[in-house]
Amino acid sequence: MLAAQAKRRCEKPVAPDEPFVLIVASSGGPRISALNQAAEDLGLTVSEPLADARAKVGFLQVRAAEPAADDNALQKLALWATHYAPAASPWSEDNGADGFFLDVEGASHLFGGEEKLIADLAARLLKNFGFPAQIAVADTAGAAWALSRFHSSPLFVLPPGQETAALAPLPIAALRLAPDTRATLRRLGFKTVGALLDKPRAPFAARFPNKLLRRLDQALGRIDEPLKPVIAPPVYHALRYLIEPIFTQQAIVAYARRLMGTLTHVLTRDDVGARRLRLCLYNVDGAVESIDIALTLPTRSADHVARLIDLKLEALAAANEAGFGFETIGLAITQAEPMPARQTEFTPASEDDDRTERYAVLIDALRQRLGPQSVRCFEPVESHIPERAEILPPLNGEASAWPAMEQPRPLLLLPRAEPAKVTALVPDGPPRRFYWRGETHEITGAEGPERIAGEWWRQMPLPARPRESGDPDLDSRFRGDERKNVLTRDYYLVEDRCGHRFWLYREGIYGRETAQANWFVHGLFA
Amino acid sequence: MLQKTTFLCRDHRAVVIDELRRLLPRIEGTHKSLPFGLATLDSHLPEGGLTCGALHEVVPETEASAAAAFGFIAAILGRLLKPRLLVCVTPAYGRRPYGRLHGHGLTALGLDPTRLILVETADRKETLWAIKEALHSSVPAAVIGAIDKLDLRTSQRLQLASSDTGLPLFLLRPAPTLESSAAATRWHIGTAEAARDRFGLIVRPRWHLHLERCRNGRPGQWVVEYDHVAHRFSFPAAVAHPSHARSASEAPLRKTRCA
Repeated sequence: MLAAQAKRRCEKPVAPDEPFVLIVASSGGPRISALNQAAEDLGLTVSEPLADARAKVGFLQVRAAEPAADDNALQKLALWATHYAPAASPWSEDNGADGFFLDVEGASHLFGGEEKLIADLAARLLKNFGFPAQIAVADTAGAAWALSRFHSSPLFVLPPGQETAALAPLPIAALRLAPDTRATLRRLGFKTVGALLDKPRAPFAARFPNKLLRRLDQALGRIDEPLKPVIAPPVYHALRYLIEPIFTQQAIVAYARRLMGTLTHVLTRDDVGARRLRLCLYNVDGAVESIDIALTLPTRSADHVARLIDLKLEALAAANEAGFGFETIGLAITQAEPMPARQTEFTPASEDDDRTERYAVLIDALRQRLGPQSVRCFEPVESHIPERAEILPPLNGEASAWPAMEQPRPLLLLPRAEPAKVTALVPDGPPRRFYWRGETHEITGAEGPERIAGEWWRQMPLPARPRESGDPDLDSRFRGDERKNVLTRDYYLVEDRCGHRFWLYREGIYGRETAQANWFVHGLFA
Repeated sequence: MLQKTTFLCRDHRAVVIDELRRLLPRIEGTHKSLPFGLATLDSHLPEGGLTCGALHEVVPETEASAAAAFGFIAAILGRLLKPRLLVCVTPAYGRRPYGRLHGHGLTALGLDPTRLILVETADRKETLWAIKEALHSSVPAAVIGAIDKLDLRTSQRLQLASSDTGLPLFLLRPAPTLESSAAATRWHIGTAEAARDRFGLIVRPRWHLHLERCRNGRPGQWVVEYDHVAHRFSFPAAVAHPSHARSASEAPLRKTRCA
């Protein structure tokens, strides 16, 4: 385990060598939440009131703390650190929210040992981000956290099995406790972790039911501490450190293809294919670009994956900034699914299999380039209201049977019913002539009406209705408002003299729901 | 087989021709076509129907005939024997003046909506890319696209992509299309008064088809009706129904334009 405490104290200093503090509002005026080295040297401390600090120090640079921005920066930092090892977990509020855990198990040999890894990490944190880091490696997250904060040297590797000895001399605060627990312990005379170690547990469990013993056990490795990674750790992962930074799309695609090629062997061995992939591009200046790719069918084909990455990069080209170039490129398979091996040598692949595969390739390509929402299929919905009778969900590969409609339905449905001026012989009769989109259509034949009532079960709760005013006009208007959602529609299929066939409806039952006939055009028939 | 044919050649010329007819479709397996099933109409087309590996332009005569143009394409594709997938590339919501395809309307026209994959694009470049991608994958049975402008070179490229894979490509163009293109056929689709039963209810839609251009074929004009149950095109009955006598006399088979 490794914990890096990156001090984000000098984020936007006006003059980095002068005292500089961040403040938060609290009861009794603003207090210091973070400070730089110069301020620390002058004797200022965290949670000191700003007024006192100003009294002590003549010149003080003050900015308001931005916890949300800090959190964001920490997430980015943890994401950047994933190029050392895939599981990085930024510290939550209990942990101080000023560093991250990095699970380096199985990754340290790539750098020639844990000492070299943390030395490299510290150097890059200083160079890329300007953070002087305190880093400690230990077997448990709790011990690493304590040592990174309270050990005298900024870089420290604890040999396995020595947590108890290493933690004993550290102050109680090294156990990540709430301030009130800390204060109580101090009042009781417990100054160091060692003082707690050989005491009977039962009284502590009774006195501090919440966190004390759990924190102690976590630090000593007696119970497990789950970490919440910044991105889901991949199932399979391939990473390549580049000697020269790369800039161009072709180079990225070529390296991605090579990485997928190395993963293919592992995938074949495990009889699985990739369903979700993530390509991470680590910029020289510390930013991380990640590209997520979802596939319709599991695949092991490096060509297919490379092509999808190419399409995605093309779509992102405008927004993508290579900056100083990418120094590390990582390809992770975040979701794998079983993919049975297929005999291709002696018997040719059947046409159906082949087509399913090509279908998946086509859908993947369209989705990558045009966005996942732009490839859709039809799905029927149990509803009489025409605009609700179907939805267009993103293609999911499930086909549902379509109900046969007794009544005529238009081939083209307008996104929103458009008002039309209609002449009818009687207000509740079929239309004779209508004016729509700048043209008058003489109707030669009308079929209908097909009466479609509103879905009362969907009706919104009624607003409080004002008292009867006695004015019939006003009252009818309120009645109309009330029933807006449930107005019945009478649909007519009409044909004009040129043979154009339209779908018109009259809103509201004349005389019962509405006083005037409002007509709308809702669709066009073939 | 050759020997047998040669042998037969001596005696029965008619038998040989029959034999050749039986064999020919297998030899030129790639040159399939989509026949209308109407001898008069199919005889105008070079291969007895719409060529499969070719670009076909469909232009609605008026803006309100867009539904008829879509219906014409849906009718042709509904007649395909093997119900395979279709890819329909249209501009995204808000950029289509005449709404969107309605699943229940497609069912009513005899085309199963589950066969259709809708692809929505943001601009013309994306539309062309998606059409080409769908053609090259040779997964769908046909590709339908809606595009406003198309220059000659782009149309040549689409025509090539279509003939390479042997898939028909139907391009829906807006009404005033005058640019020349490499399409195999260009159809103007207008509406005509529908066929009605004796109660005056619409039973079959009727369209006015104007084959304006046809490579290796002859242009022509017809009024056809489509039966969605039998998936069959037919010519309207010679005598119009009495209930339509008035309008039939007013507009006999002419290109009708709305006032």
